[in-house]
Amino acid sequence: MSAVQYPAVLDAVEGCPADLIEVLQDIQTECSYLPEDALRAVSEKLSVPLIEVFRAANFFKAFTLVPRGRHLITVCQGTACHVRGASRLLDAVSGLLEVSPGETTGDGAFTLEAVNCLGACALGPVLVMDGRCYAHMTPDKLRRLIARTIKQDEEGSAND
Amino acid sequence: MIKYLSLTIDGATISVPEGTTVLDAALEYGICIPHLCHIPGIEPIGACRVCLVEVLRNGSSRITASCTLEAKEGMVVLAHSETVLKARRCVAEMLVAEAPNSRAIQDLAVKCGVTEVRFPFRNKDCVLCGRCVRVCSQIWQAQALGFVGRGKDRHVALPFDTRPEFCKRCWSCIDICPMTITPCNGPMVCGEEYLCAQCASQLSMSKGTEDTCSWCRLGEGFQCSRRSQ
Amino acid sequence: MIKLSTPEEVAQWAERERRERSKFDFTVTMCAGTGCQTAASPAVIEAMRDELNRLGLHNKVKIRTTGCHGFCEQGPLMVIEPGNIFYRTVRPEDVAEIVSSTLSNNEVVERLCYVDPVSGERIATESDIPFYKAQDRTLLRQNRLVDPCRIEDYIAIGGYSALVKVLTSMKPDEVISQIKESGLRGRGGGGYPTGRKWEQCRAAPADEKYVICNADEGDPGAYMDRSVLEGNPHSVLEGMLIGAFAIGARKGYIYVRKEYPLAVEHSKKAIEQAVEVGLLGENVLGSGLSFEVKVARGAGAFVCGESTALMASVEGKVGEPRPKDVHTVEEGLYGKPTNLNNVETWANVPGIINEGAQLFAAKGTAKSKGTKIFALTGMVKNTGLVEVPMGTPLRHIIFDIGGGAANGNAIKAVQTGGPSGGCLPVDKFDLPVDFEALSEAGSMVGSGGMVVMDESTCMVDVARYFLAFLQDESCGKCVPCRIGLDRMLEIVTDITEGRGTMKQLDLLEDVAETVQIASLCALGKTAPNPVLSTLKYFRPEYEAHINEKRCPAGVCRALITYSIDPEKCTGCGACLRACPHDAIDGNKKELHSIDQNTCQKCGICRDECKFDAVLVE
Repeated sequence: MSAVQYPAVLDAVEGCPADLIEVLQDIQTECSYLPEDALRAVSEKLSVPLIEVFRAANFFKAFTLVPRGRHLITVCQGTACHVRGASRLLDAVSGLLEVSPGETTGDGAFTLEAVNCLGACALGPVLVMDGRCYAHMTPDKLRRLIARTIKQDEEGSAND
Repeated sequence: MIKYLSLTIDGATISVPEGTTVLDAALEYGICIPHLCHIPGIEPIGACRVCLVEVLRNGSSRITASCTLEAKEGMVVLAHSETVLKARRCVAEMLVAEAPNSRAIQDLAVKCGVTEVRFPFRNKDCVLCGRCVRVCSQIWQAQALGFVGRGKDRHVALPFDTRPEFCKRCWSCIDICPMTITPCNGPMVCGEEYLCAQCASQLSMSKGTEDTCSWCRLGEGFQCSRRSQ
Repeated sequence: MIKLSTPEEVAQWAERERRERSKFDFTVTMCAGTGCQTAASPAVIEAMRDELNRLGLHNKVKIRTTGCHGFCEQGPLMVIEPGNIFYRTVRPEDVAEIVSSTLSNNEVVERLCYVDPVSGERIATESDIPFYKAQDRTLLRQNRLVDPCRIEDYIAIGGYSALVKVLTSMKPDEVISQIKESGLRGRGGGGYPTGRKWEQCRAAPADEKYVICNADEGDPGAYMDRSVLEGNPHSVLEGMLIGAFAIGARKGYIYVRKEYPLAVEHSKKAIEQAVEVGLLGENVLGSGLSFEVKVARGAGAFVCGESTALMASVEGKVGEPRPKDVHTVEEGLYGKPTNLNNVETWANVPGIINEGAQLFAAKGTAKSKGTKIFALTGMVKNTGLVEVPMGTPLRHIIFDIGGGAANGNAIKAVQTGGPSGGCLPVDKFDLPVDFEALSEAGSMVGSGGMVVMDESTCMVDVARYFLAFLQDESCGKCVPCRIGLDRMLEIVTDITEGRGTMKQLDLLEDVAETVQIASLCALGKTAPNPVLSTLKYFRPEYEAHINEKRCPAGVCRALITYSIDPEKCTGCGACLRACPHDAIDGNKKELHSIDQNTCQKCGICRDECKFDAVLVE
């Protein structure tokens, strides 16, 4: 799945331990997760002890060691969004897709993440899906958004 | 030429080489400051917060860990003030509530004045003191294990949960772990944990030199002046 | 792109840019900040561009896309000069009318004008809008005037002239004196006197020094730094250049959290352009100052807003703080003296140098000088960024600028300072926003987040929310924070779920005290503040949860039950369809009922019901 992608990322990097976090971010973006062999390669290329690479991969929320779904739904749980009912968005998603934050649906379509603040606080509740930010979200709007996405996926695969 | 400086701990003015930490200075002179994550001769990390002291300066005071605090000329340190004792006691209480089954942690709790545990007991087999991690990276330079995860999920792990080939199989990590000392009466029964305070009474009965705490079996033995209760 | 080799050339370039700008009949400014982007402002901008091209007006009308103006609830925003016409919630469909009415006929499109929610008045000009008028937008004002992706815009409004002044007529010590005299204090939450920090860093002996801009802004509810960095990155760069000159640093970093992709992009672009024109790099403007800046990205860790954790992350390590017995100005990044300041702190520097320390110090209170940007959010009518002089009373910000309660519920509290801060009740709203005043009251100014809460907010739930947040973000190294916060959360969760006892409140306070004293870093040390402040000011709510097993605000799920009122239910089925947990049953046109075993008390059904038939007890 990812075997061909990350060497390109590693090639562009100088072998400096300080680059670890940036390199991991690039690999995460390319492969949508951090494969074990990529991490071993990073350890060698940057001369960072393997345990330190493993630690960094587990410490930061931006990184996952398991593949994410095709569509990443990130629901903001910041204070301003929270007082405007952001937890209901999580309810809506978990009811519809039967996943908790951090989990991916069985068919690999959706991953749900809760994040602690996206910085669009005046427009809460806010969520991001597939890189696009949605403001003033309600459980109803979210239900429709997910339904639209599922439909688009089906149409997309039907056209293949 | 070794440069010496003097500082005052609990009223006693002592003289130590430049670069000595306050904890090392205190232990050298037999002022017993309880500690957990400290290993003599290894870089301190100040993680357990048991060795807290109060540092007085210009009329104000600051609470900090003595293992990471470098002694400075004229420093005034209180290792047993009310504030420090209370904080230390609460930290030790939290530790023993996490791992009541460890004789070393029970010892530590009693030493820090814990008489009751107000939290529901959990039964962890690791208190994340980091001694294993640091002995592996600093003495053996193997870096075969480390702290993985954040916050509550923090745990000691091998990379990808597999023992790497560069692990030297020295087993220092096990030797130095405070959880591997056999509990006095065997493992406690879940739900029936308690603080028996029996370990502390073994202070005078321990093998080896008198006045050596069984606690110090973890590192090097040192002369510990028994603090009057 | 032009290459500047002497300081005089900066002013000459500025002159040329201003002449270029005056050639246009109109300038249409549109906000493309993150907030307005979610409201699809890029589509509006494109529509405007297309329409102007279509009519051949693109040579007469200048489009300027800017960063965040701060009036986010009203986005997408548009301001037209001359005339200072202000339009809000502009959609692509409105563009044609704007061009034909306002640009071609000098007529205002009334329906796009802002309507003041308090007076009902329609206001056509930006400068008359009460939300803006009540502020002192020293920093935010600039966001309206520059396209963050064009260094020329920053130059045109006098950008980098402070740097020129420093390089041609000041010595490092003089710069530091100015900053000290201004009384500027760290805007990231610490409030440490900036001038003193620079002085200490300058004095630390070393062959290499660093300056860092902390743009991690992890406080939920705060986005001031995002707006300044996204909208005016050059102001930060100029500040850092001046700081580097004063301190003797040759390298700098801007550490941006990855949740702000636009800020990352704009910072990188600004650096690129500054390097291209010779304002960054070797021998800047021939002065002998060499300074280079890199952007480092955060990777999703609130604790990396703490200076030692941030530096560890820049070094490629895990973001674990270290004890600060030796400060970072002496031993910071790679063990070298490092001066770390917040985005807003850096952005204030050029103004202080240009206008003089006295002007800055003339605003604010005795110990808290200048202006501060606050992110006013939550249950108020006007949410957005508010810049006011330090010392402004909370009441003025929440009611006069914020417009008071959003939807009829009485305002109950304001949370300031993020997870390190506290909640203050209404009877404390006369307090000024001043570092000392808010700390004494049990909260703090913090980074500037200000979340307004009303009767529908449960203060025990707020305490639980912050504890859960901090426990999630704790690095886990030290016992008081890792275990102490967990135990505190255990107790507060018990309280919100009806299992609390009064004895637990005593234990909660005891543990809180230990966490404050014994924690290794500021995250742990300030973590108990939300709990302690809510206990201090809202103790009756805690007691109701404990003694009566009741949540006065009707929020804590374990203590409320949802049911359907047989008098009001019409059997429309809206609730049934909306329930994500399949807990509602009923036939069409018949009374519906909620299965208490499945119901998760999320409240979605109550939101959906048009007949007010869902009861919460």
